[in-house]
Amino acid sequence: MVAQAWRIRLLTMLEYKANFFMWFAFTIAYHGVAVAALGATLYNFPSLAGWDFREIAFLYALWMLGHSTHNLFFFSIGDVPVYVQEGTFDRFLVRPRDVLFQIVTVPNQQWPDELALAIVWFGFATWYAHVAVDWVFLLAVPLIVLGGVLIDLAVSLMVATISFWFVRVDTLRWVVMSLEQEFTRYPVSIYTRGVRILMAYVLPYAFMNYFPAVYFLHKSDQGLTVVPWLGLLAPLVGGLWFTAAYAFWRVGLNRYQGTGS
Amino acid sequence: MLSEIGSLVLRVYLIRALWTALYAHNPAPPNLPLHAIITYSTVALLLSLIFEVDGTRQLREKLRLGTIATDLLKPISIPGFLFSDGLGMTLLHAMTVIPSLLIALLLVHVDRPATAGAAAAFLAAFALGYAVNFLLNFCMNCVAFWTLETFALQLVVRWLSDLLSGAIIPLAFFPGAFQSVLLHLPFAAVYSTPLLIYLGLLRGQQIGHALLEQAAWLLAFAAVAALAWNRGRDRVVVQGG
Repeated sequence: MVAQAWRIRLLTMLEYKANFFMWFAFTIAYHGVAVAALGATLYNFPSLAGWDFREIAFLYALWMLGHSTHNLFFFSIGDVPVYVQEGTFDRFLVRPRDVLFQIVTVPNQQWPDELALAIVWFGFATWYAHVAVDWVFLLAVPLIVLGGVLIDLAVSLMVATISFWFVRVDTLRWVVMSLEQEFTRYPVSIYTRGVRILMAYVLPYAFMNYFPAVYFLHKSDQGLTVVPWLGLLAPLVGGLWFTAAYAFWRVGLNRYQGTGS
Repeated sequence: MLSEIGSLVLRVYLIRALWTALYAHNPAPPNLPLHAIITYSTVALLLSLIFEVDGTRQLREKLRLGTIATDLLKPISIPGFLFSDGLGMTLLHAMTVIPSLLIALLLVHVDRPATAGAAAAFLAAFALGYAVNFLLNFCMNCVAFWTLETFALQLVVRWLSDLLSGAIIPLAFFPGAFQSVLLHLPFAAVYSTPLLIYLGLLRGQQIGHALLEQAAWLLAFAAVAALAWNRGRDRVVVQGG
């Protein structure tokens, strides 16, 4: 059934070829501007808490892999608060299929362009930052990406569930999005203690890129990294957070009452 | 409103954390000590609250939905209407700047304008920047006369102009020749010029030149906007009902 849903989505995408190029330009511009700003900044200030531009490029690439894979498969979970507000969420409840499955397969305009760009950029950044490509690297990277996807998924699922109670969660969505997209661009060590703990152990975005990058680049981290290989635990952290988020989602679904609109 | 303030707090925090870390381990660039860059970035952020209000976006909607047809029958100037409407929206939005500034001041120290003269020149440069930004947005939305769907294009231009206008980082951070080009592009007229005047990095005659350059871009864009509007209006094709 999953395969069937994806076949339909692929066929839909192929119907809009011009759109593909437009969104590809859009994706390149978004990440291009972010990386160029980092590049220009580090051109003037060669060290950001001990990280140079090459290492920051690798940090960005790791985040981009997890983030774009999540967006490709699970982007529509972010729309749940909108469905709840508009009252269209109820139709998922009356159909005889798993609610989460239905939401994930809502037709949308998520192209694999961002993931393709992420893979290219990751390949480049790995070479550029002189990361040793050994069997540990080859084995660990897919698992870290999986962990990153699960972390992203867990947080968006929690926000979606919170919207069952507090219909309007725009502020929360903004804050979470900003933490995920902007705070992950820099080494977590530049933040104050509270924010470091938030990024590491509450909304564990640091496991998407910072801790794994600390491991691959042999960086030292003050305060948070208990062991150098902490970053390899990303899939475990992702799995735990996702399990918790899914349990919360089930509870939320049972309590869901709708907005009455 | 609340979500804007929430995201603003995070951004101001990020400005402080990032620049503090950068200045801790690197020599400061000439003329730009830590308090100046924090002031620059925070004022740029507050300016973006105003500049990101795009009153001309309605034009795109009107073209998409076809309601432009009835507007064209009315005895009003549509560009004039969009400008006044945008100005109204901006003034309403400017109200959020005050609480935002107060919250920002809790997190970072923002320097006052370099001198009273700099403050006056900043206001003039800000007004000119506002007009250039309006015309730039207007031209972008006029593209909808030809292609109808312009959303992705507009975001691409918005991001590029954020980078090239000095909204994210000062243009002085770009390498030599590229920087001199950027300083004279219309994007710089929106953010960079008012901010450099605010910090006192442009002085005396330089201020006069910068304001003249902004005015020149204003006239150039006004001409392009008028041309785009006239050509576009003549070929309005209303799709569907």
